Amino acid sequence: MRYAFWPGCVSRGGTPELYPAVTAVAAKVGMELVELDQANCTGAGVLGERNDELVDTLNARNFAIAEQQGLDTLLTICSTCQGVMSSVNYKLRERPEYLAKINENLRAEGLEYKGTVRVTHMMWAIVEEMGLDELKTMVVNPLHGIKVAPFYGCYVLRPRYVLGFDEHPDRGQYLEKIVETLGAEPIDYEGKWRCCGFPIMTINESNGLRMVANHTQAAKDKGAHIMVTPCPLCHISLDEFQPKASNAAGRPINMPVLHLPQMIGSALGFNVKEMGLKRHIISTEPFIQMSGVSRG
Amino acid sequence: MSTKLDVYRFDPETDQDPSRKQYEVDLPEYGTVLEGLLEVRDAQDGTLSMRCSCRSAICGSCSMKINGQSRLACKTLISQIEHEGETITVDPMGNMPVIKDLVVDMDSFWDKMKTVGPYLKPEGPEPERENLVSNDSMMRLAVAMNCIMCGACVSDCTVLEVDKSFLGPAALAKAFRFAADPRDGHTEERLKSYVEPSGIWDCTRCNMCVQACPKDVEPMERIMDMRVMAIESGLTDSRGARHVEGFSNSVKHSGLLDEFALARKTFGFPKWGFELAPFGIRRLLRRRLPPIIHKGISTAKRVTRIFERLGV
Amino acid sequence: MRQHDVIVIGGGLAGMRAAQQAQAMGADVAMISKIFPTRSHSAAAQGGINAAVGVGDSWEDHAYDTVKGSDYLGDQDAIEVLCEEGPADIIALERMGVIFNRNGEGQIDMRAFGGATNVRTCYVADQTGQVILHVMWEQLLKSGLTVYSERFVTELLQEDGRISGCVALEIPTGRIEIFQTRAIVLATGGIGQVYYPTTNGLAVTGDGLALAYRAGASLMDMEMIQHHPTTLKANGVLITEGARGEGAYLLNSVGERFMENYAPNMKELASRDVVSRAETMEVRAGRAVDGDCVLLDLRHLGRDLVMTKLTQIFELARDYAGTNVLEEPLPIRPGHHYIMGGIKTDVDGRTWDPSGQGRWKGAEGLFAAGETANVSVHGGNRLGGNSLLDTVVFGRRSGAGAVEYARSVGWASVNENAAINGLESRIKDIFSRPSDGLRAATLRRQMGTAMNDGIAVFRNEEGMQKTLATIRAIKERLPEVSVHNKGRLFNTDLLSVLELDYMLDVAESVGMGAVTRKESRGAHAREDFPDRNDEDWLKHIVVARSEDGQAEVGFLPVTMTKWEPIARTY
Repeated sequence: MRYAFWPGCVSRGGTPELYPAVTAVAAKVGMELVELDQANCTGAGVLGERNDELVDTLNARNFAIAEQQGLDTLLTICSTCQGVMSSVNYKLRERPEYLAKINENLRAEGLEYKGTVRVTHMMWAIVEEMGLDELKTMVVNPLHGIKVAPFYGCYVLRPRYVLGFDEHPDRGQYLEKIVETLGAEPIDYEGKWRCCGFPIMTINESNGLRMVANHTQAAKDKGAHIMVTPCPLCHISLDEFQPKASNAAGRPINMPVLHLPQMIGSALGFNVKEMGLKRHIISTEPFIQMSGVSRG
Repeated sequence: MSTKLDVYRFDPETDQDPSRKQYEVDLPEYGTVLEGLLEVRDAQDGTLSMRCSCRSAICGSCSMKINGQSRLACKTLISQIEHEGETITVDPMGNMPVIKDLVVDMDSFWDKMKTVGPYLKPEGPEPERENLVSNDSMMRLAVAMNCIMCGACVSDCTVLEVDKSFLGPAALAKAFRFAADPRDGHTEERLKSYVEPSGIWDCTRCNMCVQACPKDVEPMERIMDMRVMAIESGLTDSRGARHVEGFSNSVKHSGLLDEFALARKTFGFPKWGFELAPFGIRRLLRRRLPPIIHKGISTAKRVTRIFERLGV
Repeated sequence: MRQHDVIVIGGGLAGMRAAQQAQAMGADVAMISKIFPTRSHSAAAQGGINAAVGVGDSWEDHAYDTVKGSDYLGDQDAIEVLCEEGPADIIALERMGVIFNRNGEGQIDMRAFGGATNVRTCYVADQTGQVILHVMWEQLLKSGLTVYSERFVTELLQEDGRISGCVALEIPTGRIEIFQTRAIVLATGGIGQVYYPTTNGLAVTGDGLALAYRAGASLMDMEMIQHHPTTLKANGVLITEGARGEGAYLLNSVGERFMENYAPNMKELASRDVVSRAETMEVRAGRAVDGDCVLLDLRHLGRDLVMTKLTQIFELARDYAGTNVLEEPLPIRPGHHYIMGGIKTDVDGRTWDPSGQGRWKGAEGLFAAGETANVSVHGGNRLGGNSLLDTVVFGRRSGAGAVEYARSVGWASVNENAAINGLESRIKDIFSRPSDGLRAATLRRQMGTAMNDGIAVFRNEEGMQKTLATIRAIKERLPEVSVHNKGRLFNTDLLSVLELDYMLDVAESVGMGAVTRKESRGAHAREDFPDRNDEDWLKHIVVARSEDGQAEVGFLPVTMTKWEPIARTY
């Protein structure tokens, strides 16, 4: 299937290992990603604290660019971008008179959003469009024996009414399903649907760190070998801030955190280097050993 | 329709630890979780304690965790949550101590409401009759006045889980109701107090409260409204506000976010260097640094024009 | 023992207004409430609050509509007070912070309501009661009122007939608390749970009426029970009259706007008693939907109006009836909603006859306001939008009355130990019964069903007598009722027994009033006496406790000022 692709800034910035992992996995599973190189930042929820109409216009611009290229589904790997895009898209499609107003802001550029774009996240697309049965056939390196704590991140879960949960009520279970499909074992723990702390890391770091410590510790307590997340911002929080969180909490945690595409790629036969598994702050070595992923 | 309930039970006078008890009830087509619990309490087990009154989602008494999510028991139809599992789990609200079973102590909830000055403080001479204000200005407040103070948002708040001092979504939604009231004479003073630590900038935007709120108050959105109001009224001397400004400038001029510039702006100079240096070194070792030279999109000027058109 | 000059029992709108007024006059006031004040059932009032604040309206017109709506049973002096003072109270509420929908000039907007000749119902979407209740609560926070929340009052204390205090059970802890006071204002709301089904909340158990009755006060016009024309079949939940005020139609099973046949001028906006009877007659004529419902049709109102002014209705219909009111009509039926009757008071909330002539039985020092009380402004039928006004106007007046009274008297004495022991032994007695005995809920349901069977929209001698006999038989069984929960903390099981005890007194008084009135007036529509009979029955019926503890019926004249009874058509 062909998708308009918006990688978001973090997949090449804060977590540069993610972008190559995504493009490699997408190519392997037959997703054609047409990157929108003229799309702008979605605002990441932050610009909404300045001006809602601005956020709506910036996202409408991206949707219009996708439409212009004849693409009806906009796929992203950043949960935050997905959350903003979905809620803006919901608003614009529900309220045609408001969409008309937003289109006025785009007119100077000769763009118009017609309201035809659908927003999805790579995790959703894999389950809903490609299908887990299909994914299963591609697994060459099943992740047997690995206990995985799924960490969703807020913006693929809430608020449900803008995220298509009416149509797909199980979207809060997809990580577990993918984990099982890859041969690993999902574990349940407090915190899998909670906040990673990232949005307040620069504002109230001690609160953010407590969230990181709570979730990584809870996963560890339940016997998880790794955590996996579909959100790069959650990854920054849970991985990069984990040493500091661990210090603040006064206990060693050392919980490796994988991006969802890294885990999928590891089962599909990509090697450590291709998946950027050595580029994390918390070493993924235990995972590399248990999974037998090729060191390349 | 037969329904299974798995209910948290705890009587601190007699029980060492909380336990769970299972019940089975028969409910009609539009049966709610509350009706199930009432059937238990009335007929099967009168030792079960909970709060409830109106049965129509307006009194705010019967908030509890249903299948792990805070909801009003009277507004939660069995048929709506059937897909979540065969047995319905029922627990007391979170972030508040349990008095007995499903009844929690809401003192901290009410105390936080009180700290935001939750009443109109008009200034100047009283109008002859009613205040003349636009319908739109009142209906903007109606969204927040929809709040029935049930506590569901506070129960699920992820910041309160790690920091009891946070004012929390309910009190801040209430704060918005007054900060945005054109009849109030203390808007600036209010906003000044709300930008203090434990206030509007401490929300982590996790949407838990938006999801939990049974009355569409969307407390987080009200907090965001106040962030906008605070910045607009010049209260920009906080990490939160600087973060927004830095973010906004970066996108305005390049179409994309410059993570380095943002850190500089948020933390201020030279603090960002100290705070972030350890991260930088670790990142360097892992070849994990964002590009130091920020590259925008080639049509960035068009984005700038959108910002300018909207006065940002 | 706690001491306050004035104690208000009940945390709803009338209670809050009384407490606010009393505190503003400098008295030491406290409020005792069974549930946290904002949980009170005032919050469920949806449609609006009436007052002649609009251009071209007059309080006299409002008063006439109210007199006519009451089927001439309302005391006209009290109605004049309600309607004349109402506008100032609305303005006061607005200045306190009630948001109210606005017209193009920024003034308070109004919507049409039943039985009114002018558009005079001020509103906040369809959540008027909730908004006013919350704003009043904000005002109490502002003034720092002492609130004893989650306390259940089990007894009023008296010395030589005069109020001296009350006994309360602190629900979260099970502790007994004794209060000493000079004056008490009862504002505990209606009696909803006496009926099944009802629009009223589970906490609405007529506590105040039973407390007053037991303290010697009179219950008046108890047979005047309002059945709201639009309630949901599944759970009895209210659908606001505001829906019809905004233009919704009532349809029968053949799609006919049947109100045209019953009230050719006002149609759907005739008085509630008229509409509820019309619906019942349609059902009896075989033009029902879903067994005993007719249809409320909002489709032509349009999405914008429904989603801005009737949002709660949209949700209630969706959640509890699976109906999208934008696309299909909603099945509704008449359901128990309100009691016009209540504790007999004068316009200052006094339950006793201040003239000293003993024209009616009362308890000195005891005041009442709101649905608990009967001033009487609603008579045989209350107009929609008048109940909120009643709470605000007479809440304020009874608060003032209580302070004035409290200042004129010293403290009456309270025997604290006796009061504590009295309640303790009562609880001990209940706890001593075998746990597997009769459940209060079983009897409550029997009572509610009997009331709904015999004393509802239409009544007749046989049905009412049967209901009254059932109530008395249930009362006999009260000592058999037992509890599972014998703990102290938040024991709602125990509470259900104490509440049932109250409700049975109230139910009996409703039945006694009903069998006494041998005519049809307002909500009291008798098949065996279909006409109004002003000659014999233009009078109030009171029920009070006799010397030997039995309920006894008496009569009081209706106060007339300027409106002579004429035939009532809409």
